[in-house]
Amino acid sequence: MVTLVLLCNLKTFLVRASMEVNESQQQHPNNVYHDIGITRNKIVTAQFECYQKIMKDNTDGRQEPMCNRTWDGWLCWDDTQAGITSEQHCPDYFQDFDPSEMVTKICTESGHWFVHPESNRTWTNYTRCNEHTNEGIVTAMNHFYLTLIGHGLSLVSLFISLAIFFHFKSLSCQRITLHKNLFFSFVLNSVITIIWLTAVANNRELVQRNPISCKVSQFIHLYLFGCNYFWMLCEGIYLHTLIVVAVFAEKQHLMWYYLLGWGFPLIPASIHAIARSYYYNDNCWISSKTSLLYIIHGPICAALLVNLFFLLNIVRVLITKLKVTHQAESSLYMKAVRATLILVPLLGIEFVLLPYKPDGRVSSEIYDYIMHILMHYQGLLVATIFCFFNGEVQAVLRRHWNQHHIQFGSSIGNHSDALRSASYTASSIIEVQGCYTIDGHTEHMNGKGFHDTDMSILKSDSTFA
Amino acid sequence: MKTIFHSFLYCCLLASVAHCVELEVNPELKKRLSIWLGSRLRRELESIAVEKTSESENFVRPEDIRDTLLPHTSTDVNIRTKRSKGCALGTCAVHDLAHRIQQLNHNRLKTGAPADKMSPQGYGRRRRSVPERRVSLRMEKGRLRPMWRLNDSQVHKLEALLRRT
Repeated sequence: MVTLVLLCNLKTFLVRASMEVNESQQQHPNNVYHDIGITRNKIVTAQFECYQKIMKDNTDGRQEPMCNRTWDGWLCWDDTQAGITSEQHCPDYFQDFDPSEMVTKICTESGHWFVHPESNRTWTNYTRCNEHTNEGIVTAMNHFYLTLIGHGLSLVSLFISLAIFFHFKSLSCQRITLHKNLFFSFVLNSVITIIWLTAVANNRELVQRNPISCKVSQFIHLYLFGCNYFWMLCEGIYLHTLIVVAVFAEKQHLMWYYLLGWGFPLIPASIHAIARSYYYNDNCWISSKTSLLYIIHGPICAALLVNLFFLLNIVRVLITKLKVTHQAESSLYMKAVRATLILVPLLGIEFVLLPYKPDGRVSSEIYDYIMHILMHYQGLLVATIFCFFNGEVQAVLRRHWNQHHIQFGSSIGNHSDALRSASYTASSIIEVQGCYTIDGHTEHMNGKGFHDTDMSILKSDSTFA
Repeated sequence: MKTIFHSFLYCCLLASVAHCVELEVNPELKKRLSIWLGSRLRRELESIAVEKTSESENFVRPEDIRDTLLPHTSTDVNIRTKRSKGCALGTCAVHDLAHRIQQLNHNRLKTGAPADKMSPQGYGRRRRSVPERRVSLRMEKGRLRPMWRLNDSQVHKLEALLRRT
């Protein structure tokens, strides 16, 4: 026993020493061919542990038939009652073993371990460990391409929307300024995500070399990720203030929004970077197996919860206002549902409605697909709803197109002047209405009678956009 | 509506202030919090240490010796699987994806599980029982004599085990 303790101490010392050496040599690329040795070492270690355990526990004082504790070559099995199937997680010895899957070993009614009929040998069922590994690789690659395509499409649509917003000065107002910032954060987030996934995560050599630049890019990635969600919060705050609170009838101070949207996410990103460098300094900070990530995702989750509250409140106000106007029930609810559906992607509510990943294999896979689609195509969705489907933008574009067309056409001379002037006045009226509807209707809400308020609120589901 | 919203905001403010005051006033709570934080971080550190040592050539790591491996009954393993799960929020999916892609690339050169060991011919040998007695040689009056001895020493048990398996 004493020798055993001594042995253990010696080993502890050796391990400590080698850890230090290892740390100092961390900069060098590891030899990949050591992996086979690592697998062997893991198995030998497990075997050693198993024998220790077998010796330590006493086997006396048992009446019912039991299968004896055993080392099967890969895993250690405890004494098991007859008729019970013992289960434990798959070992991580091999790359195609999934540690979340289970290994089973059957203890028969007679108190002997299951003997495989084909070979007449005691047998443990390890087949489930790598049954789904190939599917897992395929799934990961699918997610990877899904993500890249999503961000690519988002980038294209966001660039077009931003160009429209910046080109047509007549569109500019506070709401559009907020949209511009949100879209810009989407663009930056998409760019850095694409860079992160393709240039860092997909580059084994870089991750092993572990340069400081890849940690910086992870920091920027997390910061922009936060910015994206905090701009959603800004949109939520703005709409809520405009429609429900209505204390600030005059223009709101956008400075606070900028501070919240671009400034605040720096705090969790910095805290995460500092904590990560002290407590979980893995290569490129790429691991997702640490709870330090909650430093980033906690505030994001809180922001989204606040947004959920805002959305519910906005919809509640909308429904009460709509009810006052004695509309038909069906059209009322249609309007409310439409407003909700429009606002859900803008405020990022979908992530609060599906907050936690389920445990099962199939359900978590479905969840992953849904989450990736929602997350990476959100930019596309938001750009589509709030720019391409936006009435004001469409009107401005139509007017511009008509002007172009008429100019071109009149030079040839097959368009009447009357048509031209008519279309011009119509679209300019729409445009004037467009941007100032919200400012107008808050004025109404503040001061004047009920009827005006209702009328403006009726319009409001189109003015979100 | 305005009042409801304001009262909600005040409640939030009050809750956060009360929480801060409580922390300041109650040093015991503070201490407990710091201990909890410390233990949590230490655990994470240990998990890094595991990763590091697994790459070195040591057969036995300190935590292996401390552990009594009880896979399906001990709570330790449950904690470990829970801890290694990392961030489970929906918004973490993108980090999970990056991690998985990186792991796929990292594992490309690692060996797969040998199929023959998982087949019916493969793993699951039954361990033979440890013998109660063993022969030992002893000097007696200038002569070597074989003797049956009760095998009670743990080291001898280990030796016997290692020899037989």
